Amino acid sequence: MLKEIKFSSFFLLIILSSELIFASEVNLYTSRHYDTDDVLYQEFTDQSGIKVNVISAKGKALVEKLKSEGDRSPADIFITVDAGNLWKLQKDGFFQSIESSKIKSIVPKRLRGPNDEWVGLAKRSRVLFYNPENVSKEELKNLSYEDLSNPIWKGRIAIRSSNNLYNQSLVASLIAHNGVKETEKWAKSFVSNFARKPQGNDRAQIMAVANGEADIAIANSYYIGLMLSGKKGSEQKNAAQKVGLHFPNQLGRGTHINISGAGILKSSKNKENAEKLIEFLLSKYAQSHIVNNTYEYPIISEVQPNFYILKFGESFKEDQLSVSNYGEFNPAAVKLMDRVGWE
Amino acid sequence: MFFKKTLSDPWVIFPFLIFLVFLSPLLVVLSSLLGNYSDNWTHLVTYVLDSYIYNSIFLVLGVSVISLALGVGTAWVISNYNFSGRRLFDWALILPLAVPPYILAYTFTGLFDSFGSANNLVREIFSLNPNYIFFPNIRNIFGAIIVFSFTLYPYIYLATRMALINQSRSILEVGKTLGLNNLGIVFKLVLPMIRPAIVAGLMLVIMETLSDFGAVEHFAIPTFTTGIFRTWYGLYDLQTAMQLSSLLLIFVTFFIFLERLSRKNLSYTSGAPVYGEMTQIKLKGFKNIFASFICFIPLFIGFILPILELLNWAINYKLDFFNEEFIKNSVNTIYLAILAALFCTLLSLIINFSIRLKNNKFLPYMSSSLTLGYAIPGLILAIGIMQIFNFLDNYIFYSYFNFIITGSIIGLIIAYIIKAYALSNSVIESGFLRVSPFMDDIAKTLNASNFKLLKSIHLPLLKTSFLTSIILVISEVIKELPATLILRPFNFDTLAVSTYIYASEERMFEAAAPSIAIVLVGLVPIYFLTKTIRTSRPGKRLEDVKN
Repeated sequence: MLKEIKFSSFFLLIILSSELIFASEVNLYTSRHYDTDDVLYQEFTDQSGIKVNVISAKGKALVEKLKSEGDRSPADIFITVDAGNLWKLQKDGFFQSIESSKIKSIVPKRLRGPNDEWVGLAKRSRVLFYNPENVSKEELKNLSYEDLSNPIWKGRIAIRSSNNLYNQSLVASLIAHNGVKETEKWAKSFVSNFARKPQGNDRAQIMAVANGEADIAIANSYYIGLMLSGKKGSEQKNAAQKVGLHFPNQLGRGTHINISGAGILKSSKNKENAEKLIEFLLSKYAQSHIVNNTYEYPIISEVQPNFYILKFGESFKEDQLSVSNYGEFNPAAVKLMDRVGWE
Repeated sequence: MFFKKTLSDPWVIFPFLIFLVFLSPLLVVLSSLLGNYSDNWTHLVTYVLDSYIYNSIFLVLGVSVISLALGVGTAWVISNYNFSGRRLFDWALILPLAVPPYILAYTFTGLFDSFGSANNLVREIFSLNPNYIFFPNIRNIFGAIIVFSFTLYPYIYLATRMALINQSRSILEVGKTLGLNNLGIVFKLVLPMIRPAIVAGLMLVIMETLSDFGAVEHFAIPTFTTGIFRTWYGLYDLQTAMQLSSLLLIFVTFFIFLERLSRKNLSYTSGAPVYGEMTQIKLKGFKNIFASFICFIPLFIGFILPILELLNWAINYKLDFFNEEFIKNSVNTIYLAILAALFCTLLSLIINFSIRLKNNKFLPYMSSSLTLGYAIPGLILAIGIMQIFNFLDNYIFYSYFNFIITGSIIGLIIAYIIKAYALSNSVIESGFLRVSPFMDDIAKTLNASNFKLLKSIHLPLLKTSFLTSIILVISEVIKELPATLILRPFNFDTLAVSTYIYASEERMFEAAAPSIAIVLVGLVPIYFLTKTIRTSRPGKRLEDVKN
């Protein structure tokens, strides 16, 4: 019995200590798991004296966490790498509008929620990587996502599984532009052009192109920066040097863009601090920290993309479609990919 | 009269209360069956459900066959023969338990993909053409079967080995004097005696195979579990995902109850409370090498190979992991694991003791349904747990505290117990089955209280089961991820969390160092506890009895 009492008093102590409240803080739920983000939060605390508390987990799990916690959620900010999750929370009324005029003046309208419920923090584009030895200049010229259904690409395309979020967003954007029927027709031929069963992550697709297993790969832009930087080892660096980057749909609507974004929750008890943190993440300092560590594209124009990304082109035409569409059309995209047998 | 007596009996009431608390997250999941059925069902049934079901069944069958062969085979060899390296293999064969299936899957693709380390090595050694691919593609269902079998067979090995250590030698000798040959002894006496242990181990393997997401997702195999998450993440439909999970639960429940029915009228206790020492047959020459080889293979594929590849990654890409953060995470991990293991084991001890004591018809089924927590995908269970916790916090504890369970260590430990109860129960239950009920009768005639019976008679006899349960729960908690991710307090990481943070984006090179740390931390309890288990044969109690 004595032991049990000892145990329970021990627990009580733990609860009490975890209940300690800091003078000034901001609570973050995030599905961006980058070491370099922690460095940024630390910098923010040093500058402002506001402590940043973090729980990181899968985006969808955090959405459920917020829902079940309801009004009493301790979270102030939700950060995710998927515009779909932002859209879902916004639709279910979990966000409040961001009021900071500073934030609104920096972030373009299409990278914000309809009523400024959330804003983009960094951009990534989903681009084509090709092996210059196997793909001619002719073939590449003005190449679009839509063109990849052409039989000349039979057995030449590498892309990851349809379980992947980035692929779901891409197909959702195609549905938004071309409709379900057109997109399904396209997807059927596109899938029949695959060089292999979808497998591995985005970098594995780039590796496949470098190794000659496929001629063209669809992957997010920042992966090539990561590989070229040598942070992923010499093998990946060598592979990355063998491939070229092509921005699709430059003659038409522009290349598919997705965002990492943040929203402030309705239940937030530290709204002021939350806006301060988002302002900080959009500052010149934080933006150049992001582009130089994760190789994403910046939101603000004062900061340039990292050298390894910049070398593939100073600027390119971005798809102006609002990223809200990705969430809206995501279920339709997944069903479509099931129907055409995209594994 | 009956109800009054039952309701006032603490040995019935306590398990029943625990039952309610622990079953509620599962009920949250099951309650989805009562809700609406969305249009997504039509889509699932028309296009994908059949392949989900087919792949899951094929996977479970394959994993069952191979892990049974590995687990029972090695346990048999270790228990009956003496050969080179036997003492080492005895505990080392449990090591693959420290490697989560998804990490083995990642290292396997790192090794055996067309341009993986193993294929590169073969090409380099034999100076082959860069397009030559030696190892077959493992990103398929056969690869997944290998991955699950070689990480999960230790459940069967441990259960079988424990049963063999505790089996009564006198029964085997009686078998011999009755003219049974060796094969006859194995099939007529040994296997029937240890069957409950093997089946209990196999059930754990099957449940974990069905609930795992990471490995099958990595190999891009459409199984029932990947289907559940695709429905949730892709179709934004948690309700249907929970309904799918409920179907999985019902399927597993059916098996658990079938197994329970099949052994209903059999008794597995042995006559003698004190056992004679077992002796192993010494092997020589080819047989000696062969026995070592049999034990080396599962250890090599399930442990040495992935560790080598992880070391290769860690050394080449990131070694600066040993810092303050790392130590803090390790301490968190060990602390949680030990607390959860103790509570979980005590709980299953008490519940199984009540079952034995009370002969109540309801209790055994209750205990079985508690084990179901192990069979649903971790994240779905975690969502159920989270919803119950938040409900309690919002409506019951609200006036006193701010989020007492959610986001606290208590919440995490309760979640771990719900997840790992099956592990603990499987060993404690089969341990109790082997303790003769005569002992209880003798204790009763000597006027011993129930508590005294448990403490002075059962507990010493169940020492092996008790320690095994602790090992299993510790190794599970160290690896546990989904519940930890969403139920942990702010700024609180465990080793599994820091591995996940990298592995979630398949940045396995960075995940390598924390992965190795998970394995190392898991090694310590495994080593010490197996050593204790080896020396814990009840026969040793002979001296204590004399004293």
